[in-house]
Amino acid sequence: MSVTQTKQIKFYSPASSASSDSITFLCSKSSSNNNDATAKAKSATPSVFPSAGLLTPTPTPIPTAATHHQQQQQQQHAQAQLHLQLLNPLKKVKAAVKSNGHSHIDDRPDATEPIAVDTSAMGSELNCCPASPTTVPAKSALESPMRRSGRRQRTTSIGNQTTTANPSEGIIRSNNRTIYTAGRPPWYNCAGQQVEPFVIGICGGSASGKTTVAEKIIESLDVPWVTLLSMDCFYKILNEKQHELALINEYNFDHPDAFDIDLLIDVLTKLKEGRKVEVPVYNFVTHGRESQTKTMYGANVIIFEGILTFHSSEVLKLLDMKIFVDTDPDIRLARRLKRDISQRGRDLKGVLKQYLNMVKPSYANYIAPTMAHADIIVPRGGENKVAIALIVQHVHTQLQLRGFKLRETLANSYKDQPMPESLHLLHPTPQIKGLHTFIRCKNTSRDEFIFYSKRLIRLVIEYALSLFPFKATCVETPQGVFYEGKRMESRKICGVSILRAGETMEQAVCDVCKDIRIGKILIQTNLKTGEPELYYLRLPKDIKDFKVILMDATVATGAAAMMAIRVLLDHDVPEQNIILASLLMAEIGVHSIAYAFPKVKIVTSALDPEINSKFYVIPGIGNFGDRYFGTEPSDEY
Amino acid sequence: MLAKQSWQINFHFSIAIFNQEIMCTGGSPSSNGSQAEESSENDNQQQQLATEQQPEQTQRTAIGSCTPEEVLADYGENIKLLTLNSQVAELLTIIRDKNTSRSDFKFYADRLIRLVIEESLNQLPYTDCDVETPTGAIYEGLKYRSGNCGVSIIRSGEAMEQGLRDCCRSIRIGKILVESDANTHEARVVYARFPDDIGSRQVLLMYPIMSTGNTVLKAVNVLREHGVPEKCIILSNLFCTPAAARTVVTAFPKMKILTSELHPVAPNHFGQKYFDNF
Repeated sequence: MSVTQTKQIKFYSPASSASSDSITFLCSKSSSNNNDATAKAKSATPSVFPSAGLLTPTPTPIPTAATHHQQQQQQQHAQAQLHLQLLNPLKKVKAAVKSNGHSHIDDRPDATEPIAVDTSAMGSELNCCPASPTTVPAKSALESPMRRSGRRQRTTSIGNQTTTANPSEGIIRSNNRTIYTAGRPPWYNCAGQQVEPFVIGICGGSASGKTTVAEKIIESLDVPWVTLLSMDCFYKILNEKQHELALINEYNFDHPDAFDIDLLIDVLTKLKEGRKVEVPVYNFVTHGRESQTKTMYGANVIIFEGILTFHSSEVLKLLDMKIFVDTDPDIRLARRLKRDISQRGRDLKGVLKQYLNMVKPSYANYIAPTMAHADIIVPRGGENKVAIALIVQHVHTQLQLRGFKLRETLANSYKDQPMPESLHLLHPTPQIKGLHTFIRCKNTSRDEFIFYSKRLIRLVIEYALSLFPFKATCVETPQGVFYEGKRMESRKICGVSILRAGETMEQAVCDVCKDIRIGKILIQTNLKTGEPELYYLRLPKDIKDFKVILMDATVATGAAAMMAIRVLLDHDVPEQNIILASLLMAEIGVHSIAYAFPKVKIVTSALDPEINSKFYVIPGIGNFGDRYFGTEPSDEY
Repeated sequence: MLAKQSWQINFHFSIAIFNQEIMCTGGSPSSNGSQAEESSENDNQQQQLATEQQPEQTQRTAIGSCTPEEVLADYGENIKLLTLNSQVAELLTIIRDKNTSRSDFKFYADRLIRLVIEESLNQLPYTDCDVETPTGAIYEGLKYRSGNCGVSIIRSGEAMEQGLRDCCRSIRIGKILVESDANTHEARVVYARFPDDIGSRQVLLMYPIMSTGNTVLKAVNVLREHGVPEKCIILSNLFCTPAAARTVVTAFPKMKILTSELHPVAPNHFGQKYFDNF
């Protein structure tokens, strides 16, 4: 029923460490059309992969767009019987994709089905689990889907067929895949401090339309970064006896004790602090947690929905806005019957038994009383447009008060102040000045540009290394005497480059540190807003234990560097373990970074006084990445 | 401070073997010095020299009344030390450590060489030069004069050639071979090949280890014979003993010396370990 309504929601799964499909949505106001729907249906499959970003891996067995389109239309007509059959191919593909490499059984048809039906395009299984999970006869688990060893294919070239549909959408489409290029905008203020996200809690009985309300809010908010967290992820792991009870519909999934509230509070608190969290993935077949977790990041807005959202007083404290979706019990029962019988293949008796024995009493005992905590009660669920408009208006006001405009603020502050202590400028020797002369000159050929910038980068990196802590040591020499020298305290150093220009500095780091690990962060400036946006993230697994050399060739306003530092901090890297190394910085950028992150050491070979209206450093180098990689716009040459 | 402490330890140590040294060689210290420096060049002498190098070295320290601080105070204008930050200190430590593997040794030696070469290039003459940047602004930079060349003293000096090449892709490099005579222990030049116009160039003389300075004295003499003015020579060096520094600066007061460390004990194993002739 909600298929058409959710068409406008797009996915974006930011890649991070190994298991990283977060359920974060990008919202766009673009009018929905059939193309959108197919694109979404397609991306639903790859989003299961533990990797994403720009190069979303395309699994081999992709159902054709036509099939999907057909499916969606069929769904709209609510032809229940047809659903099951039509959805089967999709489900199998998903299962095949998931079992790629490791095979775990989570192909329970009932568990995956609602993904396609209830929340249609949302794709991510995490948020689409049924509010009150129903269990299935064990035989359906035996009904093992066809498993293919679908090889991962990485497509790197975009090719001729690619069309950038609409720049504001930031979607690149090619024949068989869709790339979402919109990145994550700043989630901190210009002091580098985490701006607390706005957390909306949505509570309501089973099948009351909580997810629909959440989707409607996401859709109308048009905020670029929204995270949707479902309470279903926090079901407790069942023991054998409980598991058996669940099979005969006698385990109470609607009781507060069925949830791991401590874990929930931990995850929600971390999300609210903007930290990276691992959200468990609950498997309704084994009633345990999957070994893999979903990685989620804090966002501008977090929506937390579930049947017992308001039950814990500690959770209540974390919520900035509490919405209760109040739908008539008859309607809820009718929806539940329809969903469980037509879509989950269960019999009337079992559904009614579960409803009367558990769902209804739980609603009366635990859910309905929490209505008192709600700020807003939304009758009739997702159809209530006035209520949703009011909610959205309130959230917008709140967000505006917090302020996310970054770059412009950065560019205009800190004039005429002494340089901060955390700045370490390379000693300005004639060589360094000579190298700068070469790479700054606009007539330098690329060959020379690369050669001389590499020399300069080497010096910057060597200098940066000297800022790490050292300890005195005494070694024996072949001459038979002891020599008192120094060694670095820890050899755990890793480099993180800010793509693309920062990548040019990776080689130098590898040249001075043997076997160094390299992480990458892709941050690009949104041409419309001028704000930096985070697109891609891949960091060494245990980066929090490492000292990090963060590399970017030039720093103008410092907005991108701040975002990268913020990312590192969100990955629990202590601030004092970060060194930002750069060839050229503008004074403003240094001030901004030093003010926001006073313990981060800043290393650069030259400091320029100004930046221009396009945020280029003056006199500067020009676009370092373009000159190094030879991708200058043609009118420049 | 650290350097001084270690020197003192070393001082006591050297006294202990000083007497043995006198007894076992009996040669004049200066001739021994050149021999020690060139030990790596003469493979057949290595066994014998291995026992002599170390005592000879420390003996010199004991006799010479100069400490690194004194030498720097006296000749600070001629001798430039690489800025001793922690990173450089670590490189020195790894190179001196006898437990360093050969691959590590070469890796860290190359890094140190690169830094010394970069610093040496700072001594070359330059002129101001303004350039226009892609943003349209003017950058007041500088330009190095062309007409420089490198000269390495075979063999260990050749270890520094790559470092120079990495900084100056097409620089001309001349070579000098100085050997010590097996009988007289006199250092003498056996081979020298330079660019024709070396007399009109700035010369970067490369030699990593100086324990007595005799080899360098010979090499500079050859350069002067080829018409290179003393003030146009820059000596790139990694490890230098205060005695060698004093010797060289006294002989050629107009020459600039660039080194990373003044220390009474020179790591004489450098050439051997770098080129793996153990």
